[in-house]
Formats: sequence, structure tokens, C-alpha cells
Amino acid sequence: MTAPRPAPRPRRTLTALLAAGLLAASVAPAAAHRLKLFLTTETGDITGYAFFVGGGRPEGVEVVVADATGRIVHRGRTDDHGGFRWRPQTVADHTVSIDTGDGHRVSATVAADRLVGAAGIAPSTPPEPAATAAPSAAPAPPAEPEALARLVEARVDAALERRLRPLMEAYDLAESRLRFNDVMGGVGMIVGLAGAAMWASARRRDRKGDAA
Amino acid sequence: MAHIPDGLLSLPVLVGGGLLAAGGLALGLSRLDERDIPRTAILAAIFFVVSLVAVPIGPSSVHLLLAGLMGLVLGLAAIPAIFVGLLLQAVLFGFGGLTTLGVDVVDIAFPGVILGLAARPLLARLDGPVVVVLAGAVAALSVLATAGCVALALALSSPDYLPSLRIVALTYLPLAAVEAVITGFVVAYLKRVKPEVLAPLPREALG
Repeated sequence: MTAPRPAPRPRRTLTALLAAGLLAASVAPAAAHRLKLFLTTETGDITGYAFFVGGGRPEGVEVVVADATGRIVHRGRTDDHGGFRWRPQTVADHTVSIDTGDGHRVSATVAADRLVGAAGIAPSTPPEPAATAAPSAAPAPPAEPEALARLVEARVDAALERRLRPLMEAYDLAESRLRFNDVMGGVGMIVGLAGAAMWASARRRDRKGDAA
Repeated sequence: MAHIPDGLLSLPVLVGGGLLAAGGLALGLSRLDERDIPRTAILAAIFFVVSLVAVPIGPSSVHLLLAGLMGLVLGLAAIPAIFVGLLLQAVLFGFGGLTTLGVDVVDIAFPGVILGLAARPLLARLDGPVVVVLAGAVAALSVLATAGCVALALALSSPDYLPSLRIVALTYLPLAAVEAVITGFVVAYLKRVKPEVLAPLPREALG
């Protein structure tokens, strides 16, 4: 019995659709990497930590800081919590790279303007740890309005950095979280691919049967 | 680990890995029987999910690969299965780069497939606790061969990236041990309840 068969167009359409879908998906930039870097500034220091998506911090791995021209200005190691801290000498873009030495590498850049206020004030007032900066311990305000403005700006910067840090950390963490929906989407994609492959091979077998 | 991000490897390594992976993929797909498709898809899904779960170890973090198990159960079909799993991980989560996909497929799939295919005939003749040992050895050696391939890919790209022995010992040896135990028991169980899963399909039935 030979029923009229449709031309092999649906399969080609499906293949084309699949290919187009994969292509579209691959063009979208991958947002996360397995090793991530949280980077911020605190009273003129560049500080932060590296973390693995899914948990864990790389301990005792090399941290390299390069300036805007790519010249390496600092080499250090992460502490027990994957953290590091370094005080730049100049107000410039700095790129921090962390390499665990087994194919995990991440780098991020701190823009120069995030260092401006603190570095400007740095020569006159030594940086204090943010937590211990009680109002009573503050030195008497300088008389000249310009110096006062600089001091206020530096203090506001420090306070903002302290307040914003948890928010920025939470954002970085949320961005790199594995979402259950995405995992299930991937599994569904595999099921769909298997179905498409079985459909294709069933059609091929049918055609072979017709030809015989 | 085995998911190498973009921008780390040199162009010749990327192209070489891509060509090898494309060859393996074509070979795996051309040998893929209709009846192989469900188990290939199931193991691809298991690989996709399991290798998302990372466990922190010292300076790095590791996750299961299960390449040895896939090589034993799927044979050459493990290559397309691992390719699909890695592609989805790269696209959905940014685990590993898209340019390094070929190298990653070679690193993860090829050792498991070669060792799995080599061990299959021996496994068919064995029985009892020896099965656990053989399957465990296949899994452990696959992990160590993957470590070797990753190290080679990094070293060929730049000597700076040569992984230190300390990190390899810290991360891959525990992983090899865990994979050996898991694969050993899964294969022993499969061999007891459904031994045909571990044998290649009879080719004459294809017609």
C-alpha cells in the first residue's frame, strides 16, 4: 500500500528551524562564567573577591592588576575567602584578573571615576576603616570651603560604597544563579532533539520501505 | 576544569579541537541507531544536569563528568550526547565558551568513548565484583585523561596556563575517585538487571 506521501519538506523545515533556533541562542551573549569576580572600591582601595557559580571561593590563587595600558602594576594572592585588597597609586582604569591555574580565569575593570574622590583626598587624610569611622572621631572640619567640599565628597563616597556593597553583591550573585527553569529548559531541549531525531529516522525508514 | 572559557586558548588549539570534535560528532551521529536515541538523550540530560552541580575544593571547584559511564553505555553516541549537553550549558549558563566547545567536547568525550569502547568486550565476559572494579577504572582513567587533555590544551596555548600539579592533584584525584565509585556501582547494577544496555546493538538487525 502506497499512500501519497508529502514531499520531504517538513523535515527540512524542522532542521532549518532547529538550526535557526540554535544560531539565535548562540548569538545572545552568555551572561555568566563559572568563575566570577565581585569588584568594588572602598576609600580608594580596589577590593572584592572571586567566587564560583554554585559555591566556593578560590583560595590562594594569583590576582593580577593591570592599568589601562595593560602594564601589570600589582601581583597578589587571594585570602582564605577568595578576597583581595590593593590600593592603586593613580586614578586610572584598573583591570583585575584572577587565574586559578586550571583553566578558570576571570577579569573585571574598575573605572577611573570610582577612584577619583578617595584618591584626591588620600594625601591629606589617611583612609580609615569604614566601620570604625564614628562621627566623634572625625577631625575638626578644615576652614577653606574647597577642602571641606573634598572631605564631604570623600565621606559621602565612603558611606555610599559601604551601603551599596551588599546590593551589588546580591546582584552579582543573583545574575549568576542557576535557575531551575533554565535547567528544565535544557532538559526539555534534549527531549525535543531526541524526538526530532526519532521522527527523522522513522521517516527515513518509511521511505526505505516504500522504495523496496 | 573541563569547561574552558573563551579567550584562553590559542587559535590553532581551538581550530584543532573544533575539527576533531566535528569528526567525532559526525562519526557518532552516523552510527546512531534509532533504538540508541532514547538512552543517548537520557544520558545527555543526566550529563547536562549533573555537571552543573559544582563542589568547591580549595583553589578550584569540580563537578561530575560521567564520561566513563557514557562511553561504556553509549559508545560513540556519547560524543553527540556530550556535545548537546555542553552546548546547552554554554548557551544557557555561560559554562565554557562557544569557541572552546570543540576542545571541551574532545577533552570530556573522547577519553570516555575510547576507554568505554575498549572495555566493553571485556566487560561482557566478566561477572561479579570485578565489573565494579573495571567500570570504576574506566571512569577514573577517563577523568584523569580529561585532566591531561585540558592541561595539554592550556599548555599548547600558552606556557603560563600550564596547570600546577598541586591543583590537578587537589581537584581531579578526588573527582576520579568519586566517579569510579558511582560508575562502578551503576554499571554493576545495569549489568545485573539489564545487561543488554552495556552491549553494542546487533548490527545485522539494521537490514
